[in-house]
Amino acid sequence: MERKFFLRNGLAALGVAAIVPLSNACKKSSGSDSSSTTSGGSSGSSSCTATSSETGGPYPTITPSSYVRSNIVDGQAGVALTIKITIKNLNNSCAALSGALVDIWHCTAVGYYSEYTDTPGGGYATIDYTASHFLRGRQVTDSNGLVTFTSIFPGWYSPRAPHIHAHIYNAAGTSLLITQIAFPTDICNTVYTTASDYKAHGTQDTANTADMVFSDSLANELSSVTGSVSAGYVLTHTINVSA
Amino acid sequence: MNKGAIRLLYRKIIDADAKQLWEKYVFNDSYAEFLLQAQAYNQEKKYTSFADMLAQSPNAEKLHFLVSASIVGYLRQLNGVVPDIVSSTGKLFLPFKSYRFEIVSSDIRDKSKHQVAVNFMSEQLVWHDTIGDKLLVSVAGEKQAGAELLTETFAMQPFLGIYSLQKPV
Repeated sequence: MERKFFLRNGLAALGVAAIVPLSNACKKSSGSDSSSTTSGGSSGSSSCTATSSETGGPYPTITPSSYVRSNIVDGQAGVALTIKITIKNLNNSCAALSGALVDIWHCTAVGYYSEYTDTPGGGYATIDYTASHFLRGRQVTDSNGLVTFTSIFPGWYSPRAPHIHAHIYNAAGTSLLITQIAFPTDICNTVYTTASDYKAHGTQDTANTADMVFSDSLANELSSVTGSVSAGYVLTHTINVSA
Repeated sequence: MNKGAIRLLYRKIIDADAKQLWEKYVFNDSYAEFLLQAQAYNQEKKYTSFADMLAQSPNAEKLHFLVSASIVGYLRQLNGVVPDIVSSTGKLFLPFKSYRFEIVSSDIRDKSKHQVAVNFMSEQLVWHDTIGDKLLVSVAGEKQAGAELLTETFAMQPFLGIYSLQKPV
């Protein structure tokens, strides 16, 4: 991104450089925009300029945080789950909140988080670095306040009901809300008793109504999930924040 | 000769004095991510330093992992080769797949206090011998039956250690 920015400025500088004597144009590459606006020559004869040579690469480029991605599967096995979360703003009559950052994370089909894959003794991740943040991701809400992730249906671990974690930030990066998303029990029962990656682990040991997180707030944290084990599921959920 | 298989660990420290572009990107992006993620462990905004957050909230240990997500994209750009560590012919040669990212120190009000370390754990090397101050190694898997074995020699250096040793059987 920074490179594009540089190129754009470079082109702007060239546009000005074309109307000043060549000797000045040479200095221009390291000069600032403010100094170039003061020059007023008008040779105007050279309409084409040699293309700059560049380092032969590879060289580093700015990369968005690896959290910023919609597919967070990273090789984890499980029933396909599309996660659609809409963010609305309580301070604006529940209108869609665009430009918000939405981080989500959840466990594997058998209840593990990518955070805990370090070797017991050494503390160094033994999995390939390219997959070290599986089932975690960040998206930015569109004009409808919507983000969409491609993932797998989470498993469960004791003593929690199945859930997805979510952390919402405004466009400036200020934390607005850390919350969790609950799953309909009937869907969980189907997945956990029939899907091959989940069957051995069985059904969740904690009901939504008995869960330490959801028991007092299920009404606004329960998502809607449709689909099937074979076709995959789609989760839709709305999170209201004060932004 | 074969003294065993070793994994090297290179701890690359990156701070506000970073000179190379890659280091600057890691420095800037890890700090931006720290500002985002640290809010969860400092909800009343009582603390500014990472050390204070750790002291007050043991869960702040998670920030090492959480912030690391911001630099994985830069790790990919290394194409699986540990930076800085060169063989005696001056070439980068050390392959890696595993790493651990650490926040050494940071402060939400003062970027100059942000310091991180990327620990690169190399793939296994076969340690054949030691020549003067250099280790003679081959990258595991290089060997082909009956073929010449390609080797590397390198010197141990600051921030480079031997992480594990597997004795030959």
